Amino acid sequence: MFLQTLVTGLSIGGIYSLMAVGYSLIFSILSFSNFAHGAVIMLGAYIGLALATQLHWGLGLVVSGSVVGAGLLSVFNERVAYSVLRRRRAPSLFLMISAMGCSVFLENMVYATIGSRFYAFPEFFKREVVGVWGSSLSLLDVFAFTVSIGAIFALHLFITQTKTGIAIRAGVSDMTMCSLMGVNTDRLISVVFFLAGAFAGVAGVFLGIKYFVYPTMGWVTNKAYIAAVIGGLGSLPGALIGGLILGVLETLVSTYLSSVLRDVFSFTMLIALLIWLPNGLMGRDTEEKV
Amino acid sequence: MEKMGKMGKMKRSIIVCVAVILAFGLAGAAFSAEAIKIGHTVSLTGGASMWGQSEANALDMLVKKINAEGGILDRPVVIVRYDNRNDAIESVNVARRLAGDKIIAVIGPAQSGNAIATAPVLERAEIPMIVTTATNPYVTRDQKTEKVRPYAFRPCFIDPFQGTVAARFAVDRLNAKKAAILYDVGSDYGQWLSKYFEDAFVARGGEVVAKEAFRSEELDYRAQLGKIKELAPDVFFIPTSQKEAALAARQARDLGITAVLLGTDNWGSPDLIDLGGDAVDGAYFVNLADLDDPDIQSFVSEYRETFGAEPVLPNPIMAQDALIMIVEAAKAAQSIEGPKLAEALANLKDIEVTSGILTMDPAEHNPLNKPAVIQKVDVAKKTFVFVEKYQGE
Repeated sequence: MFLQTLVTGLSIGGIYSLMAVGYSLIFSILSFSNFAHGAVIMLGAYIGLALATQLHWGLGLVVSGSVVGAGLLSVFNERVAYSVLRRRRAPSLFLMISAMGCSVFLENMVYATIGSRFYAFPEFFKREVVGVWGSSLSLLDVFAFTVSIGAIFALHLFITQTKTGIAIRAGVSDMTMCSLMGVNTDRLISVVFFLAGAFAGVAGVFLGIKYFVYPTMGWVTNKAYIAAVIGGLGSLPGALIGGLILGVLETLVSTYLSSVLRDVFSFTMLIALLIWLPNGLMGRDTEEKV
Repeated sequence: MEKMGKMGKMKRSIIVCVAVILAFGLAGAAFSAEAIKIGHTVSLTGGASMWGQSEANALDMLVKKINAEGGILDRPVVIVRYDNRNDAIESVNVARRLAGDKIIAVIGPAQSGNAIATAPVLERAEIPMIVTTATNPYVTRDQKTEKVRPYAFRPCFIDPFQGTVAARFAVDRLNAKKAAILYDVGSDYGQWLSKYFEDAFVARGGEVVAKEAFRSEELDYRAQLGKIKELAPDVFFIPTSQKEAALAARQARDLGITAVLLGTDNWGSPDLIDLGGDAVDGAYFVNLADLDDPDIQSFVSEYRETFGAEPVLPNPIMAQDALIMIVEAAKAAQSIEGPKLAEALANLKDIEVTSGILTMDPAEHNPLNKPAVIQKVDVAKKTFVFVEKYQGE
């Protein structure tokens, strides 16, 4: 029973991590919480759904298509809604409010054009259960978990090993200086938004396969945002660890205490943690956090 | 029927889709008098929109017919429709707005939580409301005073009956001894139905081994299901909407739970099969109406011809019943004033409605002898198969 709980918790946490990465990436470079991330995830899921049901693509192609589509949408979102604010040096609070607006806009666009019904992905995996030391786990969960962790690791490599990655890290530490040194910050920010969007695409497809596709499916990112805060906004390992901790903790509370009390516990933990470690587990010291 | 709204999501902006349907088209020339307005509060967006859209279609279809036959007291009928987005707060706003629109009665909302929120507003305005599929007892009865609400009526059965039917079926037909329940703690519908089912199941000698809850909008129930699996129930009762039921079924089967799944009228949407896939195959649920019911065949074929799609039962049927109740009550009262209309509604007897024959219980404002059907999900044929009909008490 305990092992089953742990396995379930990790598989839920894996998805939280995948979504939390998007929040952390953007926060790290622009110091604002991009609340439109949930809407980009939702759109990524619809893109994947269209590829899977209309073009009958396989899972690999569906994920790749959704990665590119959601990535481009995310860049477009930044260009249209945030870049002007950024150039006018608006406080990050304004960016956050604009992000909320984008989220509501995108959700309602989908309501108005596609409609509110639920869609399910075709079954990529047979309903097959894998036994892990006496606990059961679906094939999809194993796959989703592996891909999530793999993608986060690949992102880590990209940021630490490549030239663009170094530029991003430079931007994170001092944007103005970075631009003075000849880095094209607009391009840099587009790359970051593309990466965040790409993660949204992967998360969208997995969420859609597990929990269906509908306009408000992005709301689950509230949890992912909390995971990002627990791990330390702006930190990639933090997003991963925060997601896994939240997933496991929630599942433990629902199993051993009460499913109704679950959020009471996880949010109490969030508040307590922030009092103790205001920057989360692995966050860097920042004064401004919205 | 109930899908609780998402309160506190105020930042999600408000699309109030205002559709004032002008049904003059056909009958315009025949009437000189001013039109009679009937309000319709319905979920045109949100999780319950499938039923809401179908409900709106069925009403528009019927209004044309009523107007062709002389309308209400020789005046044409017009539906004033607002989207309540399946949200309790929005439902109250819609009710206030309708009260200002000089309507004679309101049809809807379809969900118990929204209907309970709406009832006091319309009661104060002395406007009768006829909900479509809100099955909670406290839609027509005030929970504080336990007195019947003078302006609230319904054409559908109520949850204690539905819960009892589910328990009777589980014990008599499925020979179940142990049951598990999973319900939405944020929904009046789910909370009460699990209680009614539990009471009836225990009274028939069964044992409820697990009663687990989740919060509205939650998507993963595996923590709760892990517990349920350990207790090995024979039946697994899930009084939720089709989306949650499909999720719970898929996750339960993934965890290796083999119990027979048992649901309620909220399951009765065609997309239950699309969403649930193999996991919902062979599940049973209680419903208000069956597409194969001989009594409703003329409605079903008319709907198919008009809209080129199947009606999403039971809402369209119940909405038509509600409109016919208003027309008949106005005829009987020879008046469209709120208090007189309400009195006539309470005393409707043996009127012919779309679902069959309807008689109101003046003491409870619920219909008498409303039957419930049990349907079985057949995934291969993509249909709900009629299993059994239980007559009202």
